[in-house]
Amino acid sequence: MIRLEEIHRDFQVGDQVVHALDDINLEIGQGDYVSVMGPSGSGKSTLLNLIGILDHASSGRYFLNQQNVTDMDELEESRARNQHIGFVFQSFHLVPRLTAAENIELPLILAGIHADQRRRLVGEALETLSLTDRAEHTPDQLSGGQRQRVAIARATITEPTVLLADEPTGNLDQHSGAEVIQTLEALNEKGITLIIVTHDLKLGNRSLRSLEMVDGRIVSDHTQ
Amino acid sequence: MLTRDFLHLTSSAILTHKLRSFLTMLGISVGIAAVVILTSIGEGLHKFIVAEFTQFGTTLVAINPGKTSTMGMSMGVFGTERPLTIEDAEALSRLSFAKSVVGFIQGNAEVEGNDRTRRTTVYGTGHDFPTAFSMPVSSGQFLPDDDPRAPRALAVLGSKVRDELFGNSNPIGKRIRIGGDRYRIVGVMESKGQVLGFDLDDTVYIPLARGLEMFNRDGLVEIDVLYHEGIDEKKVVAGIKRLLKSRHGREDFTITTQQQMLDVMGSILDIITFAVAAIGAISLLVGAIGIITIMTISVAERTSEIGLIRALGGRYSQILLLFLGEAVVLSAIGGVVGLAAGIGIGQLLSLMIPALPVHTPWTYVVLAEVTAVLIGLAAGVFPAMRAARLDPVEALRAE
Amino acid sequence: MIGYDIINYGWKSLRGYPARTLLMLLAMSISVASVLVLTALGEGARRYVKDEFTSLGTNLVIVLPGRNETTGAGLNTMMGVTPRDLTLDDARALTRHRSVKRIAPLNVGAVEASWQNRKREITLLGSTHDLIKIRQWKMDRGRFLPQMDWDRASPVCVIGKKIRQEIFGPHEALGQWIRLGQHRFRVIGIMASEGRSIGMDVEETVIIPVASAQSLLNTPSLFRILIESKTRASMQSVIDFAVATIRERHHGEEDVTVITQDAVLQTFDRILTTLTYAVGGIAAISLGVAGILIMNVMLVAVSQRTAEIGLIKALGASRRQILRLILTEAVLLSCIGALIGFSIGIAGSWGIRAALPDLQAYPPTWAMLASFLVALLTGLLFSLLPARKAARLDPVLALQRH
Ligand SMILES: Nc1ncnc2c1ncn2[C@@H]1O[C@H](COP(=O)(O)OP(=O)(O)OP(=O)(O)O)[C@@H](O)[C@H]1O
Ligand SMILES: [Mg+2]
Repeated sequence: MIRLEEIHRDFQVGDQVVHALDDINLEIGQGDYVSVMGPSGSGKSTLLNLIGILDHASSGRYFLNQQNVTDMDELEESRARNQHIGFVFQSFHLVPRLTAAENIELPLILAGIHADQRRRLVGEALETLSLTDRAEHTPDQLSGGQRQRVAIARATITEPTVLLADEPTGNLDQHSGAEVIQTLEALNEKGITLIIVTHDLKLGNRSLRSLEMVDGRIVSDHTQ
Repeated sequence: MLTRDFLHLTSSAILTHKLRSFLTMLGISVGIAAVVILTSIGEGLHKFIVAEFTQFGTTLVAINPGKTSTMGMSMGVFGTERPLTIEDAEALSRLSFAKSVVGFIQGNAEVEGNDRTRRTTVYGTGHDFPTAFSMPVSSGQFLPDDDPRAPRALAVLGSKVRDELFGNSNPIGKRIRIGGDRYRIVGVMESKGQVLGFDLDDTVYIPLARGLEMFNRDGLVEIDVLYHEGIDEKKVVAGIKRLLKSRHGREDFTITTQQQMLDVMGSILDIITFAVAAIGAISLLVGAIGIITIMTISVAERTSEIGLIRALGGRYSQILLLFLGEAVVLSAIGGVVGLAAGIGIGQLLSLMIPALPVHTPWTYVVLAEVTAVLIGLAAGVFPAMRAARLDPVEALRAE
Repeated sequence: MIGYDIINYGWKSLRGYPARTLLMLLAMSISVASVLVLTALGEGARRYVKDEFTSLGTNLVIVLPGRNETTGAGLNTMMGVTPRDLTLDDARALTRHRSVKRIAPLNVGAVEASWQNRKREITLLGSTHDLIKIRQWKMDRGRFLPQMDWDRASPVCVIGKKIRQEIFGPHEALGQWIRLGQHRFRVIGIMASEGRSIGMDVEETVIIPVASAQSLLNTPSLFRILIESKTRASMQSVIDFAVATIRERHHGEEDVTVITQDAVLQTFDRILTTLTYAVGGIAAISLGVAGILIMNVMLVAVSQRTAEIGLIKALGASRRQILRLILTEAVLLSCIGALIGFSIGIAGSWGIRAALPDLQAYPPTWAMLASFLVALLTGLLFSLLPARKAARLDPVLALQRH
C-alpha cells in the first residue's frame, strides 16, 4: 500500500548538497507495524515527512494505495493527508488556545464534516483513550502523556490508513511513554499501518519489522 | 470547512490575544470614526443648503439680465442696453405654465419711522412674492395687486426692521419714509433669518415700479417665474426663452433653474466632502498598516500551528481564508465600533454646536462598514499569503 | 548601562524584526508626511490669496454704495443700488485730502462687443488713467487710457488679452474700431496682466473712459471708487474723510460702505489659517493611530521577549533600566519614522510647488515642529504601558516561560 521507488531527497545548503534520502526503495503493506531507527541526521524524519506527503522527493516515485502521489496537485495532497494519514509528533503540536476536544476535532473541521457528527466522533475517540473528563481542558492543563494521547486521537479521528509517529515518546517519561506505545499498538491491532521513528532500541524490537537508516540509506530491513 | 467552524477558529484566535486585538481594532475604529464624522458634517451641510434653497419651492426659474454668467453671477446686473422690464414680467405672467411671476429690484436705502432711522435692504417686488417664495406675512397683508405701472405707496416690513423701528408696537397703518418718499405700512413679514449670508429680516418691501423710481433704474435685477407643478422644466425654460427673445430680439438674459443651482452647489459640496473624507482616511490607512503588522506578527507566532494544520490536511486556500478571515473580522468589528463612535460624536457635536448641521445617511453607514471590511481584506492578503505559502515541514520544525 | 548601549540594544531589537519595524516606520512616516503636505497646501492657499489681494494695489481704500446695519459690508450691499447714486462728483470731492495719492472711479457693465462679424459679450469697465497705477497692471502693447478730464467721453478703449484673441484673432487689434453696444471705440492698448484679480478677469475686460461708460450704460452712478492713500498710516484718516465727505454731499445720509483691502484680506487670512489648522489636525489623528500601533507592537514584543527580559533581570538589570530599554526602542522608532515622514513631507510639498507654481506650498514652521514633537510624544506615551509591563515582570516566572 506504500511503495517508494528510487526516492532521493536532496537539500541545497549554501553550495553544498545534503542527500537526506539516497535511493530509497521500500514497500510497506496494509496493517504493518514498522519502526525506523538510526543515528541523528540519518534521514528518518525526512522519510516520514515524505510518506506523509508533507515533503516532496527530489526524484523517484511514491505510490500510496496504488495512487501516484508524485502526480497529485495541492488539493489532492491535502485531501490524502486528511483522509489517509495521521501524524503524531515528538512535541505534540497541540493548538494551545483550543481545548482537547477542539484539537481532536480539527481534521474533521478541515474536512467539512457537520458539527453533530463531529461531536459524536470526538466523544468516541475521547472515550477510547479515556480522556472524556479532559475534553474541555486546554493543552497546558494536561500532562505530557495526556497531550500525546490527545494528539493520537486527533491523528486517528478521520480513520486514516497510515499513522506516522516521529519519536512520539521523546518528550515523555518512561511510564507515559509506555502508555502511548500501548495506545499506538492497540490501533495497529485494529488494522492501521503504524510507522514509528524512534531511538529506543527496546521499542524498535517490539515491532514486526524494523528499518535502520544511515546517511539517507536503509542499511537493514529486518522482519521478525 | 464549514462557515461556522471557520468563524469559530477565527474568533478563538482573536480572543486569545484580547489586548492586541483590541488595539488593532481601535486603530481602524479611530479611522472609520474620523471619516464618518467628517462626511456626516459634509452631508449635514449639503442637506442644510439644499433645504435653504428648496424652502423657496423647487418649481422656480430665475431670469437675470445679461448673457455672460461668470461664476453664476451675471454682470448684466450693473446695467445692460436692454433691461428686463415690468412689461417683460407681465408678458411672462401670461404664459400658460406660469403660476406667478415676480420681478425684483434690490437696493439699499434709509428707512425712517417712529422717529428712528435705519439703513436696510429695500426690495421692489410684486404682490405674488409671498406665494412664489413661500414667505408668509405674520401680520397685516402683503402688497396688494395694484396697477403695476402706478402702484400705491405701500410698504411691508421685514421682522428685524419692525423690531428696530417700532419695537413691540403695532406698525400697521403707520407712515414711514423710505429713501425720502412717504409710504404706509400694510404688513410685517414672518422672520426668516439668514439665508446664505442674506439677512431676509433686515428688509423692506415696496411695489416694483416705486423701487425702480427710487433707485432711478429702468431694468429689473431679476424676474422669478413660479410654474405649475408637474410641468417639464425644459418646456418652461424653452417657453421663457422664446418669449423674451421675441421681445428683446436676441438672447440678452440668463435663465437659471432651481435645479441647476442645486446641482452646482451639490457638486461643489460633494468635492469638499470627498476631500475632507480623504484626509480623514489617512488615519484609516495607518490603521490598515496596523492590521498588516499585527497579522504578520501573528503569522510568525503561529508558524507551527500552520504547519500542523497542513499536516492534518488543511489546504493552501483554507489557511489563506483563516488568516484573511481574522484580518476581516478585526477590521469589521473595528468598523462597527468606529461607526458607532463616529455617529455618537457627530450627534454630540450637533448638540453642542447647534449651528453645525450633522447628518449620517444609511448609505454612508453601509459604505463605511464595507470600506472597513475591504481594508481588512487588503491588509490581510499579504500576511495570509505568507502563512499559506509556508513550507509545512519547515513550519512544523519552528517552535 | 550607558546611553549608547541602550540605543544600540534598541536598534538591534528593531533590526531583529525587520518586517514589523518597517511597517511601523511606514505608519509613522505616512502620518507625519500627510500633516506636512496638507498644512503646506493650506499655507500655499493662504499665501496665494494674500498675493492676490496685494496685487489689487497697496494702501487701497474702496468706497462702495449702500450700507446695511446688520451685515455691514455683506452680500446685500455688494450688489446693491441706493436712491442717491455714488457719482463722479462724489469721487472728485474725495481727491481733496492731502493723503490721497490717486483716485479711480469705477463703472461696471456687460455689453456686446463686435468687430467685423465677430461678437461676444464682455465685461465693460469705465475708469480713468490712474486705474492702471492703482491696480498695478501692466500693458502688453499700446497705452492705457489717457490723462484727461473725467467728464469727457472719448471713443478709445483698452482690451484684455483674451478679448484680443477671440475678437481679432490673427489681425492687428491696435488702431481698430470695435463696436461696444451702440458706440464705436478705437483700440489704443492691450493689457498684459494675467487677470489675477478678485472677482474680475482682466483678460476678458474692455476698459473705456468713465464718462463714456456712463453714457453707454445709461447710468450716472458708480460701482466703486478706488482710493490709493499716500502711506499706510494715513489710511484711517482717508477712510474717515471719505465717509464724512460723502455724508455731507448726501445731505447727512451715510449711505456708503468704506473698506480697506486689509480688512478683507484679514478675513480671508483668518479663514484659511483656521482651515490649515483644521486640516493639519485631522491629519494628525493618524499620528494617534500610529501611536496605537506602536503600543500594540511593543506589547507583543514584550510578551515575546519575556524570557529575554527575565534573563536580563537575572543578570542584574533594574526596573528602571528595563523601562528605559523599551522606551528607547519606541522613541527610536518614532524618531526614525518622523524623520522619514519629514523627508517625504518636504519632498511632497516640493512636488506640489513644481506641479502648481502659483502655490507657494511650504509647510509652516509650527506644523513641522508640532508634527515632529507629537510623533515623538506619541511614541513615548504609547510605549509607557508596554515598558512598565516589561519592568514589572517577575524574573523567575519570566525565565520559566521558555
Ligand atoms: N530543510 C532542510 N535543509 C537542509 N538540510 C536539511 C533540511 N531538513 C533536513 N536536512 C538534513 O537532512 C538530513 C536528514 O535530516 P532528518 O531530520 O531527516 O534527520 P533525522 O534522522 O530525523 O535526525 P534526528 O534523529 O536528529 O531527528 C540531515 O543531515 C539534515 O541536516
Ligand atoms: Mg528527526
